[in-house]
Amino acid sequence: MQPVQTDRNETSAAFDAIAELIENVASAVLAADANDLTALATAHSCFQQIANTAAAGLDSVQRPRFEQPAAEAGKLVERLILGEMAEPEAGLRSVTEVTRQLQQMVRDVSAAIAPTVLTPLVAGEAGGVATKSLQANSLEEAKAAITADDAPLALEFISEANAHIEAAEVSLLKLEEAPGDPEAVNAIFRSFHTVKGVAGFLNLKQIGGLAHAAENLLDLARKGKLEIAGGIVDLVLESIDRLKGLLTLLDTAVKTQQPIGAEPRLPDLIHRLHAAAEGKLIAAAPAAASPAGVAGEPTKSAAAPGAGGKAGETSHGDGAIKVSTERLDSLINMVGELVISQSMVSQDVTAVAAGDHRVLRNLAHLGKITRELQDLAMSMRMVPIQGVFQKMARVVRDIGRKAGKEVDFVVVGGETELDRNVVEAIGDPLVHMVRNSVDHGIETPAQRLAAGKTPAGRLELRARHQAGQIIIEIADHGRGLNTERILKKAIESGLVKSTDPLTEQQIFQLIFAAGLSTAEKITDISGRGVGMDVVRKNVEALRGRIDIQSAAGKGTTFSINLPLTLAVIDGMVVRVGSERYIVPITSIEQSIRPLPEQLSTVQGRGELCSVRNRLLPLLRLHKVFNVKPRTENPAESLVVIVQDNQRRCCLLVDELLGQQQVVIKSLGDSIGAVKGVSGGAILGDGSVSVILDVPSLMDLA
Amino acid sequence: MSTTKNDGATSMSVGAKGGKYLTFVLGREEYGLEILKVREIFGVMEITAVPRMPPHVRGVINLRGQVIAVVDLRAKFAMAAAAQTEQTCIIVVEILRDGRKFNTGIIVDKVSEVLSIPSESIEDAPSFGEAVKTDFILGMGKIGHSVKILLDIDKVLSTNEAIALEAVTREAA
Repeated sequence: MQPVQTDRNETSAAFDAIAELIENVASAVLAADANDLTALATAHSCFQQIANTAAAGLDSVQRPRFEQPAAEAGKLVERLILGEMAEPEAGLRSVTEVTRQLQQMVRDVSAAIAPTVLTPLVAGEAGGVATKSLQANSLEEAKAAITADDAPLALEFISEANAHIEAAEVSLLKLEEAPGDPEAVNAIFRSFHTVKGVAGFLNLKQIGGLAHAAENLLDLARKGKLEIAGGIVDLVLESIDRLKGLLTLLDTAVKTQQPIGAEPRLPDLIHRLHAAAEGKLIAAAPAAASPAGVAGEPTKSAAAPGAGGKAGETSHGDGAIKVSTERLDSLINMVGELVISQSMVSQDVTAVAAGDHRVLRNLAHLGKITRELQDLAMSMRMVPIQGVFQKMARVVRDIGRKAGKEVDFVVVGGETELDRNVVEAIGDPLVHMVRNSVDHGIETPAQRLAAGKTPAGRLELRARHQAGQIIIEIADHGRGLNTERILKKAIESGLVKSTDPLTEQQIFQLIFAAGLSTAEKITDISGRGVGMDVVRKNVEALRGRIDIQSAAGKGTTFSINLPLTLAVIDGMVVRVGSERYIVPITSIEQSIRPLPEQLSTVQGRGELCSVRNRLLPLLRLHKVFNVKPRTENPAESLVVIVQDNQRRCCLLVDELLGQQQVVIKSLGDSIGAVKGVSGGAILGDGSVSVILDVPSLMDLA
Repeated sequence: MSTTKNDGATSMSVGAKGGKYLTFVLGREEYGLEILKVREIFGVMEITAVPRMPPHVRGVINLRGQVIAVVDLRAKFAMAAAAQTEQTCIIVVEILRDGRKFNTGIIVDKVSEVLSIPSESIEDAPSFGEAVKTDFILGMGKIGHSVKILLDIDKVLSTNEAIALEAVTREAA
């Protein structure tokens, strides 16, 4: 019918080549100065190629847009190279400007390809007009930063859109499990639809364009004209990833008050989405290094039968509201104070109105309400771990597909609740461990069959509460840890000696040691950019611990033990002189009253205390903190033996006052980090006490 | 010394300084804080010392569940310590640092009153030579015969060192 349509395939190939060339020019020119001959030469040859490609491959509408500007820019660069310009810097600026315009043109045209492909009728009659208006719009967007007025709106949009996209991702994985589920298709469609709508309202062309293209594709699926499977799933997942990227760009743009950055891979993706809507799967252009580009691989990764589970479907209108964490924290602070006031009032009144039953009964009632209020306030920070687990389903799917593993991924206990901060912080370590399990733990289908197992390896992600802690387990039914190989590597890298008698558990723990790379196992997927040592550090920063159980041929289970919340610790209140300090219970090994013969002094190295034939450094807290103790004589004081990561040390204190759960507070922004102190806590009487930081105290010793 | 250009700039910056100030006593001088900076005032309570702090940081207190630092303004200004009296107060001020707001307590000898000081009664801090920095002073407020030193409390509390204020107070007196 029309030139745009008839040679679309050829045109788009030429166009894609031009787009890539322009990106090359941009990266060469933008950072160069006028004397950078290498960059200029690159730019020159690119400009020439653009002009040539445009002349040969583009249709009559597109050709003039690229051919002439590129040719002119090429001449300009040539003069720059030959040193013919009076003001080379100004010349370079013009080149940069032309490059920018070309980049913009690429974006506009690829946005314009959309309507031509999708609705040929419209394209036929008004294609040129549509293209022009789109171009104008996009130019506008490029210039306009999000205004300060729109910033709150945009930020709200970002968080909302992210939630929608994540919901879409979950539904998509579910759809892969149960193909054709109309509810899931609808949910995904709605997510993209909403994002598109709001993006349109906020005049966000890139996001709107992508969401629109994906929505069109999904609309076909919704009407039963297209099955979402194989390559289409990858395409939609890629759209989801790209949308996330765009939202990040938008976020940066809003926060820095800068114009929104362009996403160069976007046109190609939109192009492929439209092609898919027409029933053609196109591989990603080489410039877009898209992992999901290779479509329709036969590897089937079974994902998450339990993942969506009951928490599935969309979570709109579930009666939840968003409250800023700041408000929540001050509510928790206030309730904490209420508890303290209540207990003080209650003590006073009980003393005064000893015989008055009515007063005492009311007082008891007040106490009960207060405690319930406190429980409620503390529970408000708790969120289910489901969200993190759902993200893992995606990780398992991608890694499994890349590594050629079949994984049967199961989630148990996603409803287990823990503190929001912990949930946020556990995500990254968990990704690494899940990756490791899929990549190293689970064998390839061939290996599994050879070992007499089912081809698909089971990977379970479990969460549960136990004894005031939360336990997250990553259990794979794979090959298990190879103790011999770990030990061999550890000895080679000098971590342990071959004579060291090590238990199996100790050998397992070696995989967390920094620098131990079991090289035979490294693949490009795990990459090992962040190793298991970092995982352990992250978990320990959350005051958690990782245990390993493994049996050769049967699989490995990593158990992460974490506190429910970062906000509360069990502490031992100790007294030194007039001051009270809190020592975290988890770092206390024991406390003793030292005998004079246990103490010794080492010239120039301070004091030592001998405990069960081990000599430990003795730290007099009163000296470190410069307070006057009750007594200088250690035999009349107490020694608290604390440990951190194999290190031990004795703290000399006047007395132990008792064990108590305390809420950790920062010491106020004006004080900042203090060595030996990790924070403050408000004691039962309302006074503030300092929480000791054992690791940094040991550094002071 | 000052040129016309400087005067112009001065009168402009002073123009924004008029307003209500909470005045308090420290030693023989009276000082003023912008009233919008003041969160609350209470008598001295028990202060928990924090180890390894500079001498002017007296420690931390529990302000309704929030732990805040308390700065001894006498120590901060390198003045001799004074005995605590019935009138010794902690003024909680809101500090803005690096775009973040937080509360800090300052200990003063006595809180006086809230004064409305018009712009024309506020002069820029006099110069005391290079050795004495005066950028933490908003200006000198003249009320009748007395002079109040109007503090930029954000700047006062932004350094960890004691501030030599003697020259300023001598001049003001």
